[in-house]
Amino acid sequence: MTHVVSIKGISKRFGRIQALNGVSFEVPSHSIFGLLGPNGAGKTTLFSIAADFLKADAGTIKVLGIDTRGISRLQGRLSILPQDAQFQRNVPILDQLVFFRLLAGRTKKQAREEVVHSLDLVGLKSFAKRRVGSLSHGMVKRLGIAQAFLGHPEVILLDEPTAGLDPASARQIRDLVKQLQEHATIVVSSHNLGEIQELCDHVAILDHGKLVLAGSVDEITRADREYNLCLSRPLQNSELEQLNSIEGVRSVRVLSHADANHNKRPVEYLVTLDLSADHIDQDAVIVPILRGVLDMGIAPRKLTEGRSLETQFLEVTGGQANQP
Amino acid sequence: MSLKTLTMSHIRLISLYWSRYAVRSGSGLVYLLIALTFGLMVAHMLIMPVEQLIVQQKREMGRTDPVIIRNTIVEIGRPIALWILGEKTMGEIARENAARQRSGMNNPDGTSAQDDDASPWMSFLLEKKPALLSAIFLVLLFGMPFVISFLAYNQISGDVQSHGLRYLLLRTERSNIYFGRFIGTVLFSTAVTAIIVATITLYLGAKTRIYPAPELVVWATQGFLALALLMVPYIAVCSLISASVDSPFLSLVLAKIVIAGVLFMAILGGLAWKPAKYIKYALPWGWQCNLLHPEPAHWLGAVAACLAYTAVFLMLGYYRFERRDL
Repeated sequence: MTHVVSIKGISKRFGRIQALNGVSFEVPSHSIFGLLGPNGAGKTTLFSIAADFLKADAGTIKVLGIDTRGISRLQGRLSILPQDAQFQRNVPILDQLVFFRLLAGRTKKQAREEVVHSLDLVGLKSFAKRRVGSLSHGMVKRLGIAQAFLGHPEVILLDEPTAGLDPASARQIRDLVKQLQEHATIVVSSHNLGEIQELCDHVAILDHGKLVLAGSVDEITRADREYNLCLSRPLQNSELEQLNSIEGVRSVRVLSHADANHNKRPVEYLVTLDLSADHIDQDAVIVPILRGVLDMGIAPRKLTEGRSLETQFLEVTGGQANQP
Repeated sequence: MSLKTLTMSHIRLISLYWSRYAVRSGSGLVYLLIALTFGLMVAHMLIMPVEQLIVQQKREMGRTDPVIIRNTIVEIGRPIALWILGEKTMGEIARENAARQRSGMNNPDGTSAQDDDASPWMSFLLEKKPALLSAIFLVLLFGMPFVISFLAYNQISGDVQSHGLRYLLLRTERSNIYFGRFIGTVLFSTAVTAIIVATITLYLGAKTRIYPAPELVVWATQGFLALALLMVPYIAVCSLISASVDSPFLSLVLAKIVIAGVLFMAILGGLAWKPAKYIKYALPWGWQCNLLHPEPAHWLGAVAACLAYTAVFLMLGYYRFERRDL
């Protein structure tokens, strides 16, 4: 597996605050990589150093094998959605983005076409001639994403791309990111753990400027893979024991908010799998569970992946998750 | 830090974009209004007495007397030139004016009473060249450095504060942004100076008709070049300040303090301790009037000084901008 982003021993201090402390990890090629961490963990600082906005006190970041301190060699190959950067309020958005493409050596016509296409991707085509000052917060966020997608960058850093977006827009952006994975490696920071779990195949978790966990989502959640299982009626104790005895099942317990005493209502259970043993496959556990439930005469109403990543996150960060 | 990273096509694009949208950003509009108001007010205050004299002469004599008009203009321009060229202090000029009023304004032959002690530079400005335009240029040379900071203070700092620069940093070099915006600011400033000088010259040529048009155009062109060039080192000072602080407001305040402070420290400090007057050479204050000097050696020296100040301030600003967190 090749790595397109290589972070080695990055440290950064702002006065008394140690924002990053010897952070090292690698981002595999063509992955969607999630960068997680509570507020102030150092995610944005790390992105800013990767884009050479900030100078690291120690360590190096290489993108596509190029040290980002010589960021000019990455022009056109690396793009970023900065978290809190503002566009010029009084300039039409088309003019601002066309200017970016002119800098990339495009003709005015080419630049315009690319910008219109990019704005179309994020649903802002009809606003191209509007000034940024007249756009809503969500629209400005989508504009930021459009500028990050301009051209065909090989690595895209997205700092909280769906923060402040309505659910439909957030879904649209997630779908767009998934599509882009074919052509680019994407690093996404987010507080939305469900989003990261859905979107990313690899993650790194930062806490107080330190890397506390990194790896593929599959690996990280193997020891505590969670599923929400909704059944048409509550399980009897013996039935619960039967499910708990299946190899690879760590626990099956009723979710606290479910009413397990009401015999006729569907009840939701949290099924936690332990897939840490190499020979145990996820499906090899799920299928016996479902079969067992069906044999008990119970119709499963829903089976969804749970918040395995969140559980890990809470564990390694000491319970400081920021859910939207 | 290396200037090898400069890309001419990027600098051209950034400077044109910057000058084009400077008006849309608040600072460009504010500068345009303040510079136009200042330039045209100066012209109005100096031209108005001459216009009143012309109207009066036409009403009383049915014609104008060019000698009296010329002497009046010299009387208006003389104290301005004496003070701005540093030949006399305000106190000396005031005492001289009072003495002149006691002894009568002009010699019997119609020449000005002070013509005898005029330096060659004064004579050049007030007699060989259109004096009214010379007086206006001298006031503008003195005043425009105070005004230019309204345009140039926000070259970098505003976009550092809003992080707007981050959209550019992966698309071009810091050096291109820094020098591109500097050149864009110079272009905008030059355009505004051209508007001011052209308006004043057109008015003098078409309305007052005191000077022959070719003479007026040639001197106006020289004055415009002097003013446009003078703005460049002051814009470079603002570039340095703007690249060093995050807040545009602080950048504006510092630019004002530095530009005005150097001059006032030189003037006030010079009263208490004479060598303090050399503080003015920290900025082009000590050289800038030489841009209107009759001797090529002097105005070439002033041009060289302006360029040298520009180079020093620009490089200091670039050094800071290249290394800082954005």
